[in-house]
Amino acid sequence: MKQEIKRIILVLVGLCLAFISLIVYISFFQVFKATTVKNNSYNKRLWINEESILRGSFLDRNGKTLVYSEKKDSSYERHYLYGRLYSHIIGYSYREYGKAGLELQYNNQLLNISENAAINELKNLVSPTTEGNNIKITIDHELQTKARNLLKGKKGSIIAMNPVNGEVYAMVSLPDFDVNRIKEDWKTITERPDSPLINRATQGLYEPGSVFKVITTAAFLEDEDMDITYDCTGTANVGGYEFTDYNKKAHGSLDLKRALAESCNTYFTTKSVEVGKDLIGNTADKFMLNNKIPFDLPVKNSQFPYKGLLDKTELAAAAIGQGKVLVTPLNMAMVASGIANGGQVVKPILVKEVLSKDGKVLKTNTTEILSLATDPINANLIKEMMVEAVNSGTGTRARIKNVKVAGKTGTAETSSGKSHAWFIGFAPADEPKVAVAVVLEEENSTGGTAAAPMARDIMLHVINNINE
Amino acid sequence: MNKRILSRSPRNLLFFFQALGLLLLLIYKGKAIDKLTLATAGGLVLVIYLSNLLLTKITSGDNYIFLITTMLVSIGIIMIYRINEGLGIKQLLWISMGIVLFFLTYFILKKIRIWENLTYLYLIGAYLLFFVTFVFGDRRHGAINWINIGQFSFQPSEIIKILLIFILSSYYSNKDRWKEIKNSSYYLMGVIYSFIFLLFLQKDLGTALVFYAIFIAIQFIYEDDKKPILINIGLFVIFGLLGYSLFDHVKIRFQAWLNPWKYIERQGYQITQSLFAIAEGGFFGKGLGLGHPDFIPVVYTDFIFSAICEEMGIFTGIGIIMLFMIFVYRGFKIAISQDNKFYRILALGISILFGVQSFIILGGVIRMIPLTGLTLPFISYGGSSILSSFVALGILQICSEEIKSKEDLDEAGD
Repeated sequence: MKQEIKRIILVLVGLCLAFISLIVYISFFQVFKATTVKNNSYNKRLWINEESILRGSFLDRNGKTLVYSEKKDSSYERHYLYGRLYSHIIGYSYREYGKAGLELQYNNQLLNISENAAINELKNLVSPTTEGNNIKITIDHELQTKARNLLKGKKGSIIAMNPVNGEVYAMVSLPDFDVNRIKEDWKTITERPDSPLINRATQGLYEPGSVFKVITTAAFLEDEDMDITYDCTGTANVGGYEFTDYNKKAHGSLDLKRALAESCNTYFTTKSVEVGKDLIGNTADKFMLNNKIPFDLPVKNSQFPYKGLLDKTELAAAAIGQGKVLVTPLNMAMVASGIANGGQVVKPILVKEVLSKDGKVLKTNTTEILSLATDPINANLIKEMMVEAVNSGTGTRARIKNVKVAGKTGTAETSSGKSHAWFIGFAPADEPKVAVAVVLEEENSTGGTAAAPMARDIMLHVINNINE
Repeated sequence: MNKRILSRSPRNLLFFFQALGLLLLLIYKGKAIDKLTLATAGGLVLVIYLSNLLLTKITSGDNYIFLITTMLVSIGIIMIYRINEGLGIKQLLWISMGIVLFFLTYFILKKIRIWENLTYLYLIGAYLLFFVTFVFGDRRHGAINWINIGQFSFQPSEIIKILLIFILSSYYSNKDRWKEIKNSSYYLMGVIYSFIFLLFLQKDLGTALVFYAIFIAIQFIYEDDKKPILINIGLFVIFGLLGYSLFDHVKIRFQAWLNPWKYIERQGYQITQSLFAIAEGGFFGKGLGLGHPDFIPVVYTDFIFSAICEEMGIFTGIGIIMLFMIFVYRGFKIAISQDNKFYRILALGISILFGVQSFIILGGVIRMIPLTGLTLPFISYGGSSILSSFVALGILQICSEEIKSKEDLDEAGD
């Protein structure tokens, strides 16, 4: 009898444990796994709204239609008019391959739905949503086309933006892909070693090379005790490492202005050790390196790990944009903008307005100052140095007739042995309308030769064609 | 006096739960409230309140198992009605009939006391039902386990489940009588395995598992000889492996459990749709009427729990699991306090039946264990499931009362 009761209780305990394990498992699932599971593209709930709502269009800054949806039979068909040109900006929206770019980031606005399911249901009771909102982006279609043509056949990125209000006029990243052929090309797109899916403008991390000297210069200007004169012999030994100038050219006696214009490496490496890593690092932080840049598309953080161990040689290398420094092209366009805008770095804007179907403006992205990178006096000094770099330094190929252009070239050495060609700048120098960043990945040519002429064409186009 | 308060207040709580749930349902229906919906809602509240009231008047036994059951039934019918009004009304009919059957079973078992010695009758009945299934059976969701009679269809295995419990109870309560037959334990094992094998042929893996679980649990408690138990476990392992390598439908379910995302288009479709629903619901659910139960396959029966989790959240889900746990606990308590061995085993068998069946289907839809098609007792839609569950509940109700053993009755007669 006693044994019977004992065994009955044992079976009961077993069953209770089974029930408790159910509770533990379902709680674990809800806490740790639910989010991933929910966002699986096979989850029809993600698509239920899209089948009954006309997805909004994308327009460029002049109102030109770039992407639209059209009713066909019982479903809607999405038309990407420029398959490649906006592959990294607008991206795509497919059931099988998910969403990317602004199609992903602005999905709710495009469908005119709220993030809260309960509110959506209530809204549907009153007046069901049938049409989504249109999105006007800040891109100028002509400039975007021009930028892509300039970059054609190369790897890299071009960004042009308004340095005062932050609107991005053009943002190209190559290689790209054709969003209209994503079904056919999916395998090659995802497996190609040069990763066309990556938006290099925001996600590519590059050694900046000499364009970083703009930031170093801003740091030098903060240090009033620094001796700005230097006698360049073409080489300089810092912490046991021999830094050399381009082609070991001795620049002779120069001040900070000539040093930036001539892009004298030994000047910057030698002086950087004098001012120390904290000043250079803090200045880089103010130019948004190591910081999250708020943008309509996901942006990788540029890196300058100065807070850790950084010896003299590494600091000297960083001062000329080599070694541990890695930046995104967007960040460098913001550096140029910051100088152009009197030291104020503004938030880059890609979406200008969200418009309802009947043209009402629902949301406007307004200009926002992210950081005060340097004071207006120093910004003005750096601008003059950058003007000198274009007029009589390494950036002469960016010169525009009758327009004062400020710029800085860069030729970044990489571990692969092939160098990146860089140019950042803005024009007109005294009343800036456009700031640019051009990077040509593994171009094996100098920034002054390869990147500066492209930047020039872009700036010229903006000055002649884009009016606020 | 004390007892009346105790049994009355949960009844009122249940009434409030129903009122709130139905109110939500009415809000969801919005303008489309019709007389039928109101009648169904009123009908549900009335039937359940009255039957709870009636039960406290007539039974001297447990009041909680019926309360728990009516709570489960209420959650189930609110969900079913929300998905499909027609089925909701039908379900109310099934529940009403189920409650009638519950009382009928209760009274029949109370008045007639011949059940201990009918082992052979139960056996014949079970095999006959299997035979009928194979001859007239209809294939549904891949399993042949339905019989159509006119407009209605029913699942014979639901009745066989109860017969199985009677077979086990009558065997182990009369162990002395069976001792005369040599190796009677093994004959019994042969009989049960023949049931399991027949279920296997019908591709009704879930029920086969429930049969096995009831058998091994009762055997574990009442078999003095360890050998048959060990053989039973060994056979389970062997048949499991054989089934896996021989039958595709076993293999597919196993693969779908291990890696549903890889086979999401086919084998893994059902389980992943269920997981989407549970994940979308979060802790508190999307709200009644705001989810998408229409995306979940077989949502009325096997996957009702996923739909409940989507709209009412896993807090309600955990509530359901705990209700089943308390139910099983009450069932075992009834068994332990029952002096009559036959009724004690009956109570155990029925508690294990509900416990194991709900565990297998709940674990299946949340992907804790491989999915096998079963109904969630008292919650899923379905005539045979609801009716047989209420019959089983009626039996458990009788077991909760004091039953004089046969000897006592004989003595009283002397």
